Amino acid sequence: MIKLENVSLVFQGGSVALSNITTKINDAEFVYLVGHSGSGKSSLLKILYKEYEATKGDIEVAGLDVNELPKWKTPLLRRKLGIVTQEPQLLENRTAFENIAFALEVMGVDNQEIDDKTNTLLELVDIVENAYKYPNQLSGGEQTRVSIARALANNPMILLCDEPTGNLDPDLSIQIVSLLEKINRAGTTVVMATHDSSIVNRRKKRVLELSKGKLIRDEQEGNYITS
Amino acid sequence: MNKLSYVAKNAILNMRRSPLIVFATIISVLVSSFLVFTTLSARSIVENNTIRWQNGVHVVVFLDDRVTTTAHKQLQESLESYPEVRTVEYFTKAEAEEEFKVLFKDQPELLSEVDYSTLPSSLRVNLNNPSDYQLILERMEGNPAVKEIRTSGEAIERLLNLTNTLVVSATSFAFLIGFAAFILIINTLRLAAYSKKKEIKIMRLVGASATYIRLPFIFEAVFESLIGTSIAVGLGWAVIEYSKSSVVADSIFDITISDNYLIYLTLALLLSSLMFGLIASFVGIRKVIND
Repeated sequence: MIKLENVSLVFQGGSVALSNITTKINDAEFVYLVGHSGSGKSSLLKILYKEYEATKGDIEVAGLDVNELPKWKTPLLRRKLGIVTQEPQLLENRTAFENIAFALEVMGVDNQEIDDKTNTLLELVDIVENAYKYPNQLSGGEQTRVSIARALANNPMILLCDEPTGNLDPDLSIQIVSLLEKINRAGTTVVMATHDSSIVNRRKKRVLELSKGKLIRDEQEGNYITS
Repeated sequence: MNKLSYVAKNAILNMRRSPLIVFATIISVLVSSFLVFTTLSARSIVENNTIRWQNGVHVVVFLDDRVTTTAHKQLQESLESYPEVRTVEYFTKAEAEEEFKVLFKDQPELLSEVDYSTLPSSLRVNLNNPSDYQLILERMEGNPAVKEIRTSGEAIERLLNLTNTLVVSATSFAFLIGFAAFILIINTLRLAAYSKKKEIKIMRLVGASATYIRLPFIFEAVFESLIGTSIAVGLGWAVIEYSKSSVVADSIFDITISDNYLIYLTLALLLSSLMFGLIASFVGIRKVIND
C-alpha cells in the first residue's frame, strides 16, 4: 500500500514540485499518474523511492514510513520496490540476460538462483530469444522489457514506472502496458507515470492527475483529459 | 561467497582499467612506508648504540702530571665518594701509551712521531646515570689535579639530536609522499566510480546498500595500500639484514635492533596502510555514491 498525507516537496531556491498531496493506493492496484511535463509526476515517484526527501507530510510505502526512514536504510525500501525509468538504463557491456542477472548479483543471490530467476523473468517479459543480445542490438521496446524484468528481479510489492513508454511508438507502448497489466494481475501494485493519453483512455484504470504539483483529479477508470 | 567474488572481480576490473595510476599509487605508498620504516629503525639502532656507549666510560678526567700521585689518589677517592659515580678506574701513562698505539695502529707515521711522555694519566669514570656528566664537570672545576675533562655525554647528545632531526625530516618527507599517494588513490577511485556511474545508479535503484556499492573501491584502495607497504616493509627488513652483515657492522656502529621492535613497526605500518586505504576510499567515492 502507498499512502500520502499532505505531502509537499519544495526544492532549494523555492520552486514547488509537490503541494499537499494526499492519496492512497491499495495493494494490487494499477494507477496511472498523469499530467503535463513539469506537473510533478517524476517528483512524486522519486519521493516514493526516497530519491527525494519530502519537505513535509507523511509517506507510507510497503509498510515503511518513508520520511522517518534513515537514509542508510533506503536500500530496505528499494528492495520492496521495482523501479523503471524512462531511459531503460541498461549496461551496454552486458547482455539482456546479464543486465537482469545484475540486479540479483548485487543482492548476493547465488549463481543457480540467478540463472533460474533470470530465465523466468526473460519468459515473463517475452524476450527469451534476445537474451544474449547486447542493448545496442535490441529495439527500444525490448530494452524497456529488459528494464522491467530487472525491476522485477527482487519480487517487488510495488512497481514504479516513470514514463516507460515515453520513447516508444504506440504499438510498442501498448505491448509494454499489457505486460505491466499482466504483472499487476499477479498481485503487484503498479504506478505508471505517463503523458500518453491514448494509453490511459484505452485501458480504463484509476487515474491520478497532477498539475503544477497539485493533485487535481483522482478517478477510478478515468481518462486523460487533455486541455 | 557470491558477494565476495563480486567485490574482488570488480576491484580487479577497476585496477586493470588504469594500471599506470595503480602502479604510481603503489610506488608512492611504497616510498612513503619505506622512509617511515627505515628512519624509525635507524633511530632505534642509534638509541641502542648510545645506550651501549653510555654503559661504558662517561667521563675521562685527564690528570696533571705536575701534581703528585697522592693528589691523584685523593681525587680518585673523592670521585668515588660522589653518589652519581658508579666506578672510577685509574689509567696510567703506560696504559695510555698502549691504548694510543692500539687506536692508531693504522697510522705508523703518527706513532713514530708522537712523544708518549706527553700522554697524561687519567681517571675513567662510569656514572649511574650517564646524563649526570654535568655534575662531574661542576665538581671538578678549578681542581689543580685536573688537566682536562672529556665527556661522552655531549657527543651522545649531539648524535641523538642529529638522529632526531633526521627522523623528523624523513618522516615529514614520508608524510608528503604519503599525502601524494592519498590523492592518487582518491583520484583513481573517483575516475573508476565515474566510469561506473550508471552501474552504481542501477545498484542503488535495486536496493544495494551503500557499503556493498563501496566495497570494490575499498578493496582496491586497501589492496594498493597494503601491497605498497608490504613491499616497503620487506625491503626495510632486507636493508637491515644486509647492514648487519656488511661493512657497516664492522664499524663502531653496531646494527642491533630487536625483532620485537621490527615486528611491532611492521604491524603498525600495515595497520596504518589499512586505515589509509579505508579513508582514501571513503573520501574518494563519497560524492559519486551520494549523487
